[in-house]
Amino acid sequence: MSAASASSSGSKMKNVENDNSSKTTVGSVKKKSSSDKNKKSESNTNSTIIKVKSVIPKRRQDLLKWYGWGYKDSMFKLDGNTATFTGNRYSIGGHTLPYLAQWAIEKFGIDPSREPKIPELPTKFAESRLPESIRVELEEIAEVSVDGMDRLIRAHGQTLKDMAQLRTNSFPRIPDAVIWPDSHEQVEQIVSCASRHNFVIIPFGGGTSVSGAVTCPAKETRPIVVLDTSDLNSILWLDKEQLLARVQAGIVGQDLEREMRARGFTVVTARGVFEKNCRVPRMSCGPEWEHVIMGSEGCFGVVTEVTIKIRPLPPVVRYGSLVFPDWESGFHFEREVARQRLQPSSIRLMDNEQFRFGQALKTENTWGGVLLDGLKRLYITKIKGFNPAKLCVVTLLMEGSAEEVSERESKLNSIAAQFGGIPAGATNGENGYTLTFVIAYLRDVAIEYDVVSESFETSVPWDRTLALCANVKQRIRNECAKRGIDKYLISHRLTQTYDAGCCIYFYFGHYIGNCADPVSTYEEIEEAARDEIIACGGSISHHHGVGKLRKKWYADTVSEPGRQLLLAAKKALDPDNIFALGNMAFEEHSNNSDVSVKSKL
Amino acid sequence: MSEQVGFVDILEPRRKPGGIVGFMTRNWYPQGTMTLDKKYSPQDLKDLVANSMYMNSIFESICSRTGAPKEQLQKLVNKFLEEMGLDKKVHVIRWMGVLFLKICFMMKIKMFVNEAAVFDLKSIMGKNPVLFLPTHRSYADFCLMTYLCYHFNIDFPAVAAGMDFYSMAVIGRRMRETGAFYIRRTLGGDALYAVTLKQYVKTVVAKHAAPIEFFLEGTRSRSNKSMPPKYGMLSMAMVPFFSHEVSDITIVPVNISYDRLMETSLFAYEHLGVPKPKESTGGFLKALHNLNDHFGNMYLNVGEPLSAREFYKQNSNVLNSSETSKPMDLQAVTPEQFKQVQSLADYVITLQQKNTVATISNLVALVLMQSLMKNEPLKLDEVYTEVEWMIQELRILGAKVFENDVKGSVDRILVVHQKMMKLDHEGRLKLIYANPTELSDEVKKKMKGHILHPETMATAVSVIQLQLYVNPVLHYLVPPALVYLTVQRDPITTIGLKEQFRHLRKMLSHEFFYIEAEEPQIFKAAIDYCVYNGVCEYDSETDVLSLGKNSKRQFLLTWTIWPFLATLYAAIEIMRQQRGPILQADAVKLIQCKVEDWQGHPYSLSLEAARGCLRGLADTEILIKHRWDELAYEPVPKNLLLSKILISSITPWLDVDFDNNNVVFNQRLQARL
Repeated sequence: MSAASASSSGSKMKNVENDNSSKTTVGSVKKKSSSDKNKKSESNTNSTIIKVKSVIPKRRQDLLKWYGWGYKDSMFKLDGNTATFTGNRYSIGGHTLPYLAQWAIEKFGIDPSREPKIPELPTKFAESRLPESIRVELEEIAEVSVDGMDRLIRAHGQTLKDMAQLRTNSFPRIPDAVIWPDSHEQVEQIVSCASRHNFVIIPFGGGTSVSGAVTCPAKETRPIVVLDTSDLNSILWLDKEQLLARVQAGIVGQDLEREMRARGFTVVTARGVFEKNCRVPRMSCGPEWEHVIMGSEGCFGVVTEVTIKIRPLPPVVRYGSLVFPDWESGFHFEREVARQRLQPSSIRLMDNEQFRFGQALKTENTWGGVLLDGLKRLYITKIKGFNPAKLCVVTLLMEGSAEEVSERESKLNSIAAQFGGIPAGATNGENGYTLTFVIAYLRDVAIEYDVVSESFETSVPWDRTLALCANVKQRIRNECAKRGIDKYLISHRLTQTYDAGCCIYFYFGHYIGNCADPVSTYEEIEEAARDEIIACGGSISHHHGVGKLRKKWYADTVSEPGRQLLLAAKKALDPDNIFALGNMAFEEHSNNSDVSVKSKL
Repeated sequence: MSEQVGFVDILEPRRKPGGIVGFMTRNWYPQGTMTLDKKYSPQDLKDLVANSMYMNSIFESICSRTGAPKEQLQKLVNKFLEEMGLDKKVHVIRWMGVLFLKICFMMKIKMFVNEAAVFDLKSIMGKNPVLFLPTHRSYADFCLMTYLCYHFNIDFPAVAAGMDFYSMAVIGRRMRETGAFYIRRTLGGDALYAVTLKQYVKTVVAKHAAPIEFFLEGTRSRSNKSMPPKYGMLSMAMVPFFSHEVSDITIVPVNISYDRLMETSLFAYEHLGVPKPKESTGGFLKALHNLNDHFGNMYLNVGEPLSAREFYKQNSNVLNSSETSKPMDLQAVTPEQFKQVQSLADYVITLQQKNTVATISNLVALVLMQSLMKNEPLKLDEVYTEVEWMIQELRILGAKVFENDVKGSVDRILVVHQKMMKLDHEGRLKLIYANPTELSDEVKKKMKGHILHPETMATAVSVIQLQLYVNPVLHYLVPPALVYLTVQRDPITTIGLKEQFRHLRKMLSHEFFYIEAEEPQIFKAAIDYCVYNGVCEYDSETDVLSLGKNSKRQFLLTWTIWPFLATLYAAIEIMRQQRGPILQADAVKLIQCKVEDWQGHPYSLSLEAARGCLRGLADTEILIKHRWDELAYEPVPKNLLLSKILISSITPWLDVDFDNNNVVFNQRLQARL
């Protein structure tokens, strides 16, 4: 949250790292792993390049869980009625969670007493199809691996289907090799090599895609080489005066991504290098082609370098929370804050389900803490008269100088009061954000106990938000009833606000029960939910992207001319379909279509 | 001729009683090169560098790589800046000015400047940085431009000086206070030093509103003629232009010609491999003593200013590099831009050559050397006639000759060069040979060359000294000489000749600098000279050149290029004997040894010439150059054989007895008699 940024003082790159590793999701793991790196001391002293210690090791499986989300050492464990969260990377790490098992039993009807289904490390992999001669050529450029495990863990993103196939090692197609370039020039060489030998490149970054975008197209017959950008993580320069930095595009960190807004970038396409010739805050020069690349989901080329805006680290970071009697009053509060443009760095509204899930994640507490909690609850439910089955929570993150933060907080409190909200303290706020990070781990333990779950998001105008939330929830309930599913959870939260609308996240999971194919069942229900979202005026996605999962709605979303533009852009930038990821409107590749494209040219 | 007009002795007004003090204490409101909103003091410049975003980024990059604390790096950079940074103390400049004038009067020097060019330059100054790029033939060059600026009310130039001066007591400090900044000769070792210097030079160019002066050739040319340029300094100085921090950079080539160099004999010894003495204040004071003599005239020919923007007009991509999207402070010279800097530097060297003023020293040296070659001493009257003839020849070849009173000038120059040449009792002009002296063991140990026989050494030193005054005008004579020598072998078509000419020029390019772009004209002019002046005859039907009848000109062309071709031939011979790579240092010794055996022209013994020939042979792929710890060359036998055939066919073999020559005033013989 707090920006990776250039404070005028001292060693700010260190700040970036520390900052990230203290609160992080896997996507932004900033852990100093001493592996690899600096094989060639390319960096002569008179360069300004800062080579960041690689965040994700080349052998990702050494640090990350190969069969699920996040770090190897961090996961939920159920042992009878006691749940724990392992490791010490998150604030709940190492703690017993006394309420979680009970909550799961009530919600999903799981049997916590049986063994979790943890998959065996696979030993058999599809043969690499990359010809020896090309591998040798690639090795001249950068490090290459054809190891089965290296390839398997880069065959997928983080969708439910990816997870299911990963756990059973049943991907129809995995990459044939992995390559780790560390400079723009190396990427250029790799892409030109791909053009010469007609193999496919899939750019692979954090590996956290939830749209199926990086999943290998099953029908691809050409060799597939995954271009892992984790070694493209140098800071090329940092301009504290202009508050700009030029970084290689593989540098990870959600903080970096969120707080440093892109101001132009360089992309290697099959047709050459794509970049703007200047570094200006605004330019009027025809359509903004960068937007053609931004969000192209890897189908046009590899982004190698990015110029980003940076901000000084805020001196004060303060969490806060507000309790509202119900979703609707919380919603109106958010709407009003957006109208007045008083949004702090983060403001999120959780529905009652999530509030209660948060309660279920509470760790063992000291006597005093329990007492205090009790008093708070007493105040909220009895004195203010809130219904525990309806109340909602807003979590806040405020940054800035001490005066700015205090002023903002009091303004927010007074708006909250207009809608019946009352302050509920900083700890609840901070817990809310911890929840965001660990919730991703929950899906793994869920699968292990026969619950399939997933989140999906949308953006929606303010005026349609309440209806959309209600209708989507209802639609899911109906779909479950139709399939005889009675143990499930549906929850949502409002995570970002804009002048004209907001972003809504839905969480849905169900106990597989008697389902013959629970993953497909889940996907059917999600599809129905997305249909409902779009019917209610929501979008195909707020930020997850189209990938392969949401191709169905792409053409309608952008209209036919839009789809034609996309195809034309592909023809212009990648006529040989080197980047054959098959996302959005693109066919999943087969060799026949390749021939037809060529004959048309 | 128009070029002669406007050369004025700017020291003349100071020769009046009280002329020095009055002038050096006058009010001083110089014209700067740029009008900036803020005036940056020498300390400001250093602070700008130390606190620049560029240095900061470098620090952070190094810190992240090595873990070195930033403060330590900062300290180091401050130390570098203290070492290199210029200073400016007007009172010191005034005192140095007094000293300068006193010494000039002691040396009985006249300092001729083409005043009009300076006024023209001043009229366009004020908009962008100005680079003074003078030729470098003598240590005296360091003060001349500074004095010139004082005279014409131009702000003192920031002069790049080698570290040799830095270590000189008192003088090093004083030079800094007159605006010198110090640079280490090799940047290889210390990358942090290199980036500090880069940033400092860039900052001085962009923010110091005074001219910047440095020597493109990088060192004093020991041969008194142009050398191929070094590119590093110019590429650093051009950065503010490429980054558009300044709109243009004005480049002023300056040719400085001396009637007599202070260093003549030192240079002659250096050619033979005796190492140069280390610069020291003691040495300077000792040298002062020798300066109480006649040194004749100096000519500062200020060339027409060259606008970098104009120069790159055809090459607009040089100014629109991808570097523009970087922060201005981080913008670096792209490889393409560096190439363009190289072509600019090369071009400026040719401008310096074109601004050569052929002095009476050069003319008399030509005449005396020729009479030495013929073994026929000339009477003074004949000397006058021959000098007139040389003037005419050089003018035909395009040289600027600033002489209207030949008789007076010759008489004057005989006083200036009285240690080198004099009239014998019959009134015939003769070269004076030095007494042979046995080298001390200490010097022998440090010798870079083959240990020559003391008598050979004495002869060689005297002839080489004379040759040093022939050299500055050789670039006019070499192209027709190559044409003539090729034609005298066998008649040849101009097309065939052109090929040979190119090849020969390239082999000799380190002796006689040229740029490819001008070669077609130079070749044509050389042929024209030969054809119109009876050196060659041309049959336009068959396009064939054959030998002409003017033997006087033919002889001039033959003897002037002889020593250079002889060294080249020796280099080829030596390399033909090698079975594998040989260190340059060893090869030049062998070449020198070979030349001594031949008893050829003493200038062929020059180590510098030998090194130049090896480089030229590498450029033409006759040798392979290896940049190991030390420079080494490897023979390419097939190409060596071909070049041997070519060079042996054109190298003239004059039969000149240098030891017992009639044109020599041999003190040894006299002493024995």
